[in-house]
Amino acid sequence: MARYALRRVLLAVPVLLGVLLIGFFLMQVVPTDPAVIRAGPQATQEVVDAIREELGLNRPLWAQFGFYLWRLLQGDLGVSIINNMAVTQELSDTIGPTLELMFASLFWSIPLGIGLGTLAAYWRGSMIDRCIMAVSVGGVSVPVFFLGLLLIWLVGFQWQLLPFTGRGGPLWTWDGIQAVILPAVTLGGVFVGPVARMTRTAVVDMLTADHVRTARAKGLSEFLVVLRHALRNALIPVITLIGLQIGFLLGGAVVTETIFSWPGVGRLAVGAILSSDFPMAQGTIIVLSAGFILINLGVDLLYAVLDPRVRLS
Amino acid sequence: MSATVAAPRRPSALRMMLRDTGAAVSLVFVVLIVLAAIFAPFLAPKDPYETDLMAIMQPPSAEYWFGTDGQGRDLFARTLYGLQVTLFMGLASLIVGGVIGAVVGFLAAYYRRLDGLLMRLMDILLSFPAILFGLALAAIFGPGLTSVIFALSIATIPLMARIVRGAAVVVMGLDYIEAARAIGMKDARLILRHLAPNCLSPIFVFATLRLGQVILLGSALSFLGLGAQPPVAELGAMASQGRNFLFIAPHISVIPSVAIFLVVLAFNVLGDALRDALDPRLRI
Repeated sequence: MARYALRRVLLAVPVLLGVLLIGFFLMQVVPTDPAVIRAGPQATQEVVDAIREELGLNRPLWAQFGFYLWRLLQGDLGVSIINNMAVTQELSDTIGPTLELMFASLFWSIPLGIGLGTLAAYWRGSMIDRCIMAVSVGGVSVPVFFLGLLLIWLVGFQWQLLPFTGRGGPLWTWDGIQAVILPAVTLGGVFVGPVARMTRTAVVDMLTADHVRTARAKGLSEFLVVLRHALRNALIPVITLIGLQIGFLLGGAVVTETIFSWPGVGRLAVGAILSSDFPMAQGTIIVLSAGFILINLGVDLLYAVLDPRVRLS
Repeated sequence: MSATVAAPRRPSALRMMLRDTGAAVSLVFVVLIVLAAIFAPFLAPKDPYETDLMAIMQPPSAEYWFGTDGQGRDLFARTLYGLQVTLFMGLASLIVGGVIGAVVGFLAAYYRRLDGLLMRLMDILLSFPAILFGLALAAIFGPGLTSVIFALSIATIPLMARIVRGAAVVVMGLDYIEAARAIGMKDARLILRHLAPNCLSPIFVFATLRLGQVILLGSALSFLGLGAQPPVAELGAMASQGRNFLFIAPHISVIPSVAIFLVVLAFNVLGDALRDALDPRLRI
């Protein structure tokens, strides 16, 4: 296990370096001078030159990359062009809400997807199966923004049931819960379909497996056979596949945050790109990529824990 | 004299697919929207860019089938042109990313020495979701349709490479490839004439399903303002413009969104049916 984990972690390192390299080049190709940005609009030429020296901008490119990595390690990603705030400060303010939104979305969509997928697998070929699969194909085909706009228009505006702009506070407060419902329904809504499909395939495989036949033969109730013997074993591939779909969720999160003015990293990223705030854009892209790499790493390790065949192969 | 026994003809994949009502409807729908997109200039009753400030935010009516938007532009005309832009965006990314990915996949399967290196590179590309390529390219080159097409192409490369490699490795093990090699056939010819044609079904299935995904992603990027820029009639951008009028005239956002939904749904249903028809093992 330790060897597998080590190998997997080592594989993530070049990818992470690649991300940083791309982030670094982003700042090279854009038409702004980081020293000028850092110095602020009223700075004299001497100040700019001093900053240029301090940032190592007069050195060759490879040395600059070294400087860049060093500053990054110290949590320095530069300052925003727009409001002069430290990029790392803004990032640390927005990561929490993004994780909160993702958690709230997965909290209801994964159990629902697994439940629907199991039902469809058990009654495969029946009307129930066809209905569930039709809904799930519909779910993977619907644009996230469409779902979000419909909810805002109907639930938020017409029926006035729930707030639809911004975050209401921490999730353990009533306001916080109210505010997260519509964004979480939107983001989770596009996730139910894929989870249901993956679960159905995995459970169908399991239902024809030998150990399930044995469980039936020894007279267990159908409910227990499905729950304890088919679904439980099917969960391993399902969890992995869900992990691999996190990228899909991330894309949805960027859109959902923008529609609902949710103060997360995705909305920050889009705003930074649209306003040509390059240091901020670079910071958000690095954080989103690194987060995604870490999630993938976590899923792989979890998979190895759950399924011994992975780490032995 | 030899008597040939007529083998029972296997029904063609197309015919098997069309037994599924959903797939048949989807196929007809896809053909119709492609035709609608191509002939948009002839079908559109009005100019999609002509504003009419006397007729803004009109609901759907006999004169304006889909109503008008915030600047009084005819939404039916804009939706037709929007289909054109959206389908072009999807097809362009699919073709660019698909061709590069297929070349990588064939090379990896054919030259085993390249396999490890190429597929590790693909793994690295695969470790980023498409939305991140979209954000990064929009940050570097500025928002626009070209950035979106590039981003979606890059995101498609590793997926296609994996599909093609998987299919090609199986075919590589077959006797006739060995035979072709034995008679001294050139690599390029062998790959193009004998290897590629036998890998087409998974490629086709993947391409159909991917087209739906690419359209969904591309329109989401346009919705965020990172793709097609106003006033270009692109379905995602149109839905985004309608946001400002959501509470007064929801149809401005809803109509282009429904159009995207139906197009993507059609490609998804078609792709699923195609997979079932081409690979009977998957039918349960």
